Amino acid sequence: MIAATGPHIDVEALSPLLALTGGGLVVLLVGLLRPRVVREVLVPLLALASLAAALGLAIWQWDADEEIIAGALRVDTLALAFTAFVIVAAAITVLLSWRAVAPREAAHGEYYAMLLVSAAGMSVLVQAQNLVSLFIGFELLSVPLYVLCASEMRRSSSLEAGLKYLIIGSVGSATLLYGLALIYGATGRTDFAAIADALNSVGGPVSDPLFLTGLALSVVGLAFKVSVAPFHQWTPDAYEGAPTPVTAFMATATKVAALGVIIRFFDVALINAQPDWAPALAALATITIVVGNVGAIGQTSVKRLLAWSSVAQAGYMLAGIVVGTQHGIEAVAFYLAAYLVMNMAAFAVVVARARETGLGDAIEALEGIGQSKPLLAWPMTIAMLGLAGIPGTAGFIGKFFLIDGAVDGDYAWLGIVIVVGSAVSLVYYLKVVAAMWMRPAPRSVPVLAGGAVDDPPADAPAGPRAAGGEVTLVAVGCAAGPVVFGVLPGPLFDIARDAAAAMSHLF
Amino acid sequence: MAEFFYFLCAIVAIAGAIGVVALRNPFYAVLSLVCHLFALAGLFLLLRAEFVAFAQIVVYAGAVMVLYVFTVGYVGGDDESVRPWHGPAQKGVALVFAGMLFVELCLAILGSGLKALDGEGAPYEAGFGSPGQIGELFLTTFLFAFEAASILLLIAAVGAVVLARRRGAGRVEADRMTFTEFMRPIGTGTTAEAVGTRDAGINLPAPAAEPEREQLESGRGERA
Repeated sequence: MIAATGPHIDVEALSPLLALTGGGLVVLLVGLLRPRVVREVLVPLLALASLAAALGLAIWQWDADEEIIAGALRVDTLALAFTAFVIVAAAITVLLSWRAVAPREAAHGEYYAMLLVSAAGMSVLVQAQNLVSLFIGFELLSVPLYVLCASEMRRSSSLEAGLKYLIIGSVGSATLLYGLALIYGATGRTDFAAIADALNSVGGPVSDPLFLTGLALSVVGLAFKVSVAPFHQWTPDAYEGAPTPVTAFMATATKVAALGVIIRFFDVALINAQPDWAPALAALATITIVVGNVGAIGQTSVKRLLAWSSVAQAGYMLAGIVVGTQHGIEAVAFYLAAYLVMNMAAFAVVVARARETGLGDAIEALEGIGQSKPLLAWPMTIAMLGLAGIPGTAGFIGKFFLIDGAVDGDYAWLGIVIVVGSAVSLVYYLKVVAAMWMRPAPRSVPVLAGGAVDDPPADAPAGPRAAGGEVTLVAVGCAAGPVVFGVLPGPLFDIARDAAAAMSHLF
Repeated sequence: MAEFFYFLCAIVAIAGAIGVVALRNPFYAVLSLVCHLFALAGLFLLLRAEFVAFAQIVVYAGAVMVLYVFTVGYVGGDDESVRPWHGPAQKGVALVFAGMLFVELCLAILGSGLKALDGEGAPYEAGFGSPGQIGELFLTTFLFAFEAASILLLIAAVGAVVLARRRGAGRVEADRMTFTEFMRPIGTGTTAEAVGTRDAGINLPAPAAEPEREQLESGRGERA
C-alpha cells in the first residue's frame, strides 16, 4: 500500500477553533493548581483570554472563503459570523459565571473547559461541510452541555435538568445520526457539495423514499436541538433547572449553532430538495410560534418564560431559513445577534435578582425593582420589549427583516404568523415589565447590607448575597445592544449581509 | 485449516449462545455471552472482515461486556436470580419469536441459493473495508473528524469525572502553601487522600461528624 499523505491543514483558517480548544485544554490544566485565586480568578480570565483570541482570529480571517482539511470544514463569512456570535455568548457566560455556584461545584477548571469545548463544538457545527464533521460538532456541543446543566450537583432540579437534557438530547442525536446515514445511503456521499450534486442530477422534487426518510429524521434531530415544537418539551425543564449562566449559554449559543448548521445543511447540501423540506419547515415554524407563545403565557418563573419565549423565537428564525434565499439568511443572522444580546440581558437580570433576593427565578424577584434597581430594571425592560419586537429596538428591525424575507420568498402567510405570534407574545413580555415597574417591592425581600461579594461562603448558599458588578455590567451592556442597533442597524446589518453573501449560490 | 477454525468458532458460538439462555447464574450467562462474541469475531475473521472482527472484540466483548459484568455485580449474583419466569405466556412468546427468527434466517439463507456452499469464501484481498483502508480514511478524508472525536472523548471523560467526583464539603484551604502543594492538584497523591480519610496537608472535617458521608462511602465500598 502506498503511504497515505495527509490533507493540507490551513492553520490560519482553523485558528479560531484552535484558540477555543487550546484554551479549553489550558484552562483544564490550570484549574488543577491549588491556590484559590488561581481557580476563581485566573481560570475565568484565561477562558476570557482564549475567547478574545478566538474572536480576534475570527475577525482576522473575515475574508476567508475556503474549504479546509479535506473538505471537512468550510471557513466563510457565515461560519465566522456565527462563530463570533457563539464566542460573544460564551464570554458573557463566563462573566455571569464569575461568582456563580455552578463553577465552584463542578470545579472551575472543568467548568470553563467544558464551556470552551462546547463553544468549539458550536464553531465546528457552523463550519461543518461534511456529514461526519456535522455529527461530531453536534456531539462536541452537546456532551459538555449535558454536564454543565447538571453542574449544581446539590440542587436536585439541576440534576434533573441535566438528565432530561441528556436523554432527550441523545434521542435527538440518534435521530439525526440515523437521518444522516440514510441521506448518505441515498446519495452515496458525505460532503455537502457532492450531496447537492447528487440531488441536482435527480432534477425536480426528490421522491426517493430512502432520502426522504433521512431528510425527515435529520429535520427531527436538528429540531430537538433548536427546540422547535413539537420537539421542545425538554426546553422549559432543562432551562429552569440548569444553572442560570448555563441556561443563558444554551438559550443563545446553542440556537446560533443549530440554526447555523440548519442554514448550511439545508441551503447547501439539500438546496435542490427545497420543495421537499420547505413546506415541512414552514409547518414546524408555525407550530413552534403558536406553541411557544401560548406556552409562555401562564409561566411564573422567568427562566421558564424565557425558555418558552426561546421556542417561539426559534420559530420566527426558522421562517427565514424556509424561504432559502440570501435575504432570509441575512434576516436570520441579524435576528440571531439581536436575540443573543436581548436574552443575555434578561438572563443577567435573572442572575442578579436570584442572588439578591434568594427567590430564585420567580417573577416575584423582579417586583418593584423599577424604583430600587433601575440598572437592572431598564435592561430587563429593553430585553422584553426587544424580544416582543417593539419599534426602536433591534428586535423590531430583526422581525421586520424576517417578515420581509418570508414575504419575499413567497411565504407571506408565514410573515402573518410571525406578526400574530409577536402580538400574542406581548401578553407575557409585558407581564414581566409590569411586575418591575407597577408593583411594589415585596417586603420580604431581604436587603443586603455591605454584601460579602469577595468572600461568598464556601458551601454555596442559595441565600441572598450581592449580585456583583460584572452581572450588572453584562445587563447594561447587553441592553445597550438592542437600543443601539435599533437606532443604527447599519453595522450589524453589514455583518448579516456578509454572512449571507457566503451563500452565493442562492439569490 | 479454515474448516477446522470454522467448526471451532461455530461450535463455541452456538455453545455460548445456549449457555446464555441455559445458565441460571447471571454472571456465568454474561461470561458465556463473552465466549459467544469472541467466537463470532473469529467467524468474521474467517470472512476476512478484519475490521468488523476487531470492532466486535473491542466494542462488544470489551466495553459492552464490562458494563454487563458491572451491572450483574450490582444487582446481585448467585442468590438473586435475575431470571423471572412468568409462566407459560412468557415461554410461548419466546418460542414464537424464536420461530419467527428461525424462519426469517432460513429464508435468507435459502434465498441465496446456497451458492456459497461450494465457494472458497470471500476473496483474500477484500475490495474495501480492510483495517488499512479505514485507517487511511481516518488520516486523510476524515482527519478532522478523527481529531475532533479525540477532543470529544476527552471532554466526555472530564464531564464524567465532574459528575462522579466526591465533593470535598467544607474543604479548608491553607493560606500559605509550599511550591509542591501549589503545583499538586487536589486529589492526587497519597492513598489516604484518595480514599478521603486525609486531605494532603489540609485536614478534612472529622468523618464522624458526617454520618451521611460515611454512609455514602460505605455504599461506594460495596460497589467497588
